[in-house]
Amino acid sequence: MLSTLILLQLLGAAVVAFYPSNLSGKLARGITLTFAIANFLWTLLLVIQFRPGETGQQFGEFLPWIDALGLEYSLGMDGLSLPLLVVNGLLTCLSIFSSDQLTPRPRFYYSLILLLSVGVTGAFLAQNLLLFFLFYELELIPLYLLIAIWGGEKRAYAATKFLIYTAFSGILILASFLGMVWLSGADSFALDKLDLSALPLVTQLLLLAGILVGFGIKIPLIPFHTWLPDAHVEASTPISVLLAGVLLKLGTYGLLRFGLNLLPTAWAYLSPWLATWAMFSVLYGASCAIAQTDMKKMVAYSSVGHMGYILLAAAAATPLSVLGAVMQMVSHSLISAMLFLLVGVVYKKAGSRDLNLLCGLLNPGRGMPIVGSMMILGVMASAGIPGMVGFMAEFLVFRGSLAVFPIQTLSAMIGTGLTAVYFLILVNRAFFGRLSPQVLNLPPIYWSDRAPALILALLIIIFGIQPAWLIHWSQPTVAAMVNTGHSLAVTFSTKQTIPN
Amino acid sequence: MVTTQNKLSNQILLEYVHRLQNGDTLLNNSPENLLEVVGILKSYGVVLDAYSTNLIYIAEHQFLAFLPFFKYFNGEVSGKKLLRHFWHDRINFEYAEYCMKTMMWHGGGGLDIYLDTEEFCAIAQTVIAAKFKHNPLVMGLNQLFPHTLIEQLRVSAYYSGLGQFWRVMADIFLSLSDSYDRGEIKSIPQVVDFIKAGLVADALKPIIYEVNIAGKLYEIIPKSVGLTFLADTAIPYVEAVFFRGTPFLGVVSYNAQAYQIPLDQSRFQYGALFADPLPIGGAGIPPTLLMHDMRHYLPEYLSKIYRNRLRGEDDLLIQICTSFQKSMFCVTTATILGLLPYPRDTQDISQQKANQVHLEKWMKKLKNSQLLEVNK
Repeated sequence: MLSTLILLQLLGAAVVAFYPSNLSGKLARGITLTFAIANFLWTLLLVIQFRPGETGQQFGEFLPWIDALGLEYSLGMDGLSLPLLVVNGLLTCLSIFSSDQLTPRPRFYYSLILLLSVGVTGAFLAQNLLLFFLFYELELIPLYLLIAIWGGEKRAYAATKFLIYTAFSGILILASFLGMVWLSGADSFALDKLDLSALPLVTQLLLLAGILVGFGIKIPLIPFHTWLPDAHVEASTPISVLLAGVLLKLGTYGLLRFGLNLLPTAWAYLSPWLATWAMFSVLYGASCAIAQTDMKKMVAYSSVGHMGYILLAAAAATPLSVLGAVMQMVSHSLISAMLFLLVGVVYKKAGSRDLNLLCGLLNPGRGMPIVGSMMILGVMASAGIPGMVGFMAEFLVFRGSLAVFPIQTLSAMIGTGLTAVYFLILVNRAFFGRLSPQVLNLPPIYWSDRAPALILALLIIIFGIQPAWLIHWSQPTVAAMVNTGHSLAVTFSTKQTIPN
Repeated sequence: MVTTQNKLSNQILLEYVHRLQNGDTLLNNSPENLLEVVGILKSYGVVLDAYSTNLIYIAEHQFLAFLPFFKYFNGEVSGKKLLRHFWHDRINFEYAEYCMKTMMWHGGGGLDIYLDTEEFCAIAQTVIAAKFKHNPLVMGLNQLFPHTLIEQLRVSAYYSGLGQFWRVMADIFLSLSDSYDRGEIKSIPQVVDFIKAGLVADALKPIIYEVNIAGKLYEIIPKSVGLTFLADTAIPYVEAVFFRGTPFLGVVSYNAQAYQIPLDQSRFQYGALFADPLPIGGAGIPPTLLMHDMRHYLPEYLSKIYRNRLRGEDDLLIQICTSFQKSMFCVTTATILGLLPYPRDTQDISQQKANQVHLEKWMKKLKNSQLLEVNK
């Protein structure tokens, strides 16, 4: 069942790449979209068959691969990976749909998008550390190429920076994985066979440090964030959607799965520092966003801030906060993808993202009123206005973290206020007022331009009004993860003390 | 903060004065302008015809009615018509009422003066007494508040005045369109001449207002008062609606307390000739209801032009508004030229001077108008 998700997309990538006759951009997009939709539908089928009450991995698949290395093809899905897989399936469809039909070298472009999705899907499903790492590294190559070939003016710089940062992140993660297996004496990289509870705290802290920095780069958290705004600005809109909506979540997923889940004691020990780190990330990301005049860079910095909430929630490690972290992952995926799509439409039609040039885009006749309205909805959701998915996610994060880290949580809540500030600046400058002369003659906006963002807007409202439809898939898994971690941490703290 | 911009420099202003002296028009003469102006005036004519009919109906049949629920129905109330009304499949008669109120508020002309005279008040009291002969309650209230019902009749007089003015204008615009269809109109100056001729021909047409109460006619504006079409309705209308303030639906974002609105009413510049066709929520919002009405009656050749432009029908109302402004500059040209104290081509130096003063006075009023925008 789970392998189908990977194989379908691999097959799609192969069909597009090796199609016998000359393939137009439109046809390439159609074929890719067909495979992506099939993949998404298959994911939904899995969701229907998923049993939310169970806490373990479901639909498990196992094939021995290289025994000597402890590498096996082991897949599974639980309440943590399920929502992220659905989001990945949806956003891959939307990003393919919103790709330009005139994209040069369409075969290569679309096959890379599917390969990227293969990497992400595999990473979310992998139940073996080494397999996770392989998929994690697999997504780097397509993403690097997608930015380097189809990016903006400074694409080479941005792509190289992205590659260097994430390759370094990969090295740290691999080193930590190797350390986990080697030091725990496990004979394989299988997640369920790893027991790190007997390791000394210092060792656990070292392993966790590798995980934190490795995935911290991917998330990204300050001070490892500088690759993200560059990558976003240079990447085309569909790639920014995938980057913000899916790829950053690999980092937060990794933190929860391999940090909190495998090293709960060290996690508990470091958690005050993690919460403080999260707080600074939130405030720094928001402050940088306020200073931006490029709409896309503003949304990119907002991602830095919003991913900080996830770290805060994970640091608090209460059932409610971790549930909030999962919700925030989904919420951020939907909201940031929508904002990037809308910024993309503005850029495509107005030819600029500069807030000093744009004005009055909400004009009902000559502007883009529906795009503007959705942008207002998106920024309201991002600022955590009730009735939208962002509110429930942030509320869960704050409610779950406040008792554990009151100062950090209250400080992070200021970030929500700052989100409203910078997004109001964006909306006020670009959308209100009289249309500026530079954008007085905008070309028509078609429903195909608006449709991807509209789908996300609907989901933002639906899950905002009925968050239970989202929460109930993850709640038992999260509760089990936090309870196991908590009991391990308590057991450990009674046995050992921290060496001076 | 709203700042007043002098869009037209003195030099450009003088250029336009010379243009008018030479028999040219404020709007540039071009085939596309001609199509737009004639086409939009055709649809405007149809709409004005409906407005005029309704205004006259309200003046003659709904006067002194406290709750005129069916005033837009022109006396034909039926379930089907009511449904269409609520479904909003109808002309926006509200726009005509806004225009009437604008005229009344800004005043000007003989009608405004007459409605403040003792003569009018006496006639009004007679009409009120006749209308409420069997209604002691209203008569009692009229004794207590003697200005209220008279004011209602003043409003009715404006309904009638504007209705009669638009009756003439609708016929001029529709016959202009017919002439164009017959191939008789080939340039913007010809359009202006046609309108001017229409205005001049009806300049002295009397404005009268009579109501029928229990089979007896009451002359609220008798012919003997001497109110005429051009001086007492056309000029006040142009002054109020074209220059000072076009009726609109929307929020005025000017702050009177910060002196962003001139204290002197005559310095208002929120009229149709000044309106920004891009609706932004400030004063100068185009008369949206009128655009909504006109879009239903656009001739095919004009619709085709609009469809072929960059945004197609997305910005139809803005395109209609721009064309409407162009056409109103033609009407304004006709009015300015029609009111010249001496013939335009006079050889007498003193007469030329007087004409020059007249033209400069009008052009100064257009300093902040959209004239340059429509001629871009």
